[in-house]
Amino acid sequence: MDLMIAGLAAAGIRLSISIAFAALGETVSQRAGVMNVGLEGIMLFSAFLAAAGAVYSGNPWGGVSLAIVGGLALAAIHGVVSIYLGANQIVSGLALVFLGAGLSGVGYRLTIGGAPVMIPSFSAVDFGPLRDIPFIGPVFFSHTLLVYVAVALAFALYFALPRTGLGLELRASGENPQAADAAGIDVNRYRFMAVLFGGAMAGLGGAFLVLAQVNAFVEGMVAGRGFIAIACVVFGGWNPVGVLVACMGFGLADALQIRLQTWYPGIPYQFFVMMPYVVALVALVIFASRSAGPAALGMPFRSLRARRSVL
Amino acid sequence: MDDAAISAFPANNPRQSMWLVALVIVVITALVPAVFILAAGRDPIAAYAALLAYTLGTSNGFYEVLTQSIPLTLVGLGVAVAFRAGIFNIGGDGQFLMGSIVAFACSPWFADLPVPLGLLCYLAAGFVGGGALGVLVAWLLLRFRASEIISTIVLNFIVLQLLSWGIRGPLQEPARLMPWSDYLPESLLLPNLIQGSRVHYGLVVAIVAVVVLAVVIKKTSFGFKLTAVGRNPFAARYAGLGEKRVVVWAMLISAGMAGLAGSVQVAGIHERLQDDFSSGYGQAAIAIALMARLSPLWVAPMAILFAIFYVGAGVLQREANIPFPIVYIIEGVVILGFLCFEAISSKKGGA
Repeated sequence: MDLMIAGLAAAGIRLSISIAFAALGETVSQRAGVMNVGLEGIMLFSAFLAAAGAVYSGNPWGGVSLAIVGGLALAAIHGVVSIYLGANQIVSGLALVFLGAGLSGVGYRLTIGGAPVMIPSFSAVDFGPLRDIPFIGPVFFSHTLLVYVAVALAFALYFALPRTGLGLELRASGENPQAADAAGIDVNRYRFMAVLFGGAMAGLGGAFLVLAQVNAFVEGMVAGRGFIAIACVVFGGWNPVGVLVACMGFGLADALQIRLQTWYPGIPYQFFVMMPYVVALVALVIFASRSAGPAALGMPFRSLRARRSVL
Repeated sequence: MDDAAISAFPANNPRQSMWLVALVIVVITALVPAVFILAAGRDPIAAYAALLAYTLGTSNGFYEVLTQSIPLTLVGLGVAVAFRAGIFNIGGDGQFLMGSIVAFACSPWFADLPVPLGLLCYLAAGFVGGGALGVLVAWLLLRFRASEIISTIVLNFIVLQLLSWGIRGPLQEPARLMPWSDYLPESLLLPNLIQGSRVHYGLVVAIVAVVVLAVVIKKTSFGFKLTAVGRNPFAARYAGLGEKRVVVWAMLISAGMAGLAGSVQVAGIHERLQDDFSSGYGQAAIAIALMARLSPLWVAPMAILFAIFYVGAGVLQREANIPFPIVYIIEGVVILGFLCFEAISSKKGGA
């Protein structure tokens, strides 16, 4: 029984991390006032790039680097269009979803898609004797390095956002851009940087999926995780640690449904596969009305100072 | 999210710049695949010549374009209605499938009705099946403030599994061999419209839908309320337009059109349910509705344009080995190009 629970918990953590990277990046982006609904597209594109990069360089880190570059590139498009041109953030994000899906599919079929390939993947960090602690070992000390990076990132953001000058200026850009602007903060520059960070993290999430979770690339493998990441930002109340917890909830639901499929072969497996999505819907109903996002989320900002100087 | 919708679609001189938008789309869609064709070491001009020669130069190709434009138009109309009300319905694919499931499940009751009546009931069931999903989304949005962007996309995945279960369970063919349903009763199939092609009476359904929705949006008070709610939900609420009721109706119609498209596609093309046959219509419909500037009359030509891409992507695959997902790249780039075009032209206009 203990072994089973330990296995479930470890799998739950592992399955939550790709969502967690994307959701933590989105948290920063949204706290600065920019919504990026295109995470799904970024994750799709960077999942392919991670696979291709790892295959061609022979090293998973090559895949990670390429995935981050791809994430930055797509996020930069979203940033220019939605921040500097002031276009609708949701529509621009949707464009990224399609673009990413297309680039992923076309890129894969034109490169590594021809024949089955081995993708060099990450293996678990060797914690030595720590691994042998009953229960604790398999649950917490059995993961690849990126899992610990994601957890560290959540706590780093948790402390940095409210406590550092950079965090304050970022949040000001999302809560009250007019006031931030009056205080001399270049709101759109902060927003652009935040969007780039979000893109890099979504890229890392896509890379994690390929290099540390599935160890293979399948077209469309992100399967809505980009959108679930956005939901997790809401569930976590825009608080990085809360967001991480929300993602772990999903990872656990996902790990559980895989096990339930084999425990209850009499029940059609489709009902288990849809479970994480049903959980997302139910969680949305419970949490959406209780939390409020950054005040200026979704609103383009044009500096009054800049406008005055033009006149 | 509410406020973002207001600034989304500045409708300055829509008619005048419509042609410019179309031109921008054509240029972008010509340039993007060209990069990939060149990368694959082929001649883009020859590939395009083959694409145009097939889709517009041969009757077979053009009939295929018309066939593809039927679901694209219907789902596109639905997206346009929701976006007009400022609701980002991106669940077209799930609503399409839900419509087809419900219509198919109800089909035994309609099979023995007199010929046009049974078919009409079947199509209505498709509309209701999709629409029910839309009403659910509207309820979640109004009652729990659950973002429709998340709920519609999550429902896509849920419905996909529902269909997968249906065609391996209660709706599976009696022989229980393949994961698909039995054929739809003969009396409920949409008859062929043009001999020797796949063009079916769904084309008539699509044309009627375009006209009806154009009239509803232009000429009725509901159409006015819809646009008012989308432009400024707060002002609409103060003006007593019944914002909530408008949102529910908008989602019912929007998702209903996608559901109708699903039942039409089954009755006109597939003749039975099978695994994921929505072919990304819900996604393409978003690009179509935006390019049409949410005007129902413009949805039809834009749907034909995207149908040319759909059919043309098949040609490019054969001629130049360009994979089909190039269509999704085009959809993304077209939307981005459109946003840039709108942003720049509205700045020039002094907005």
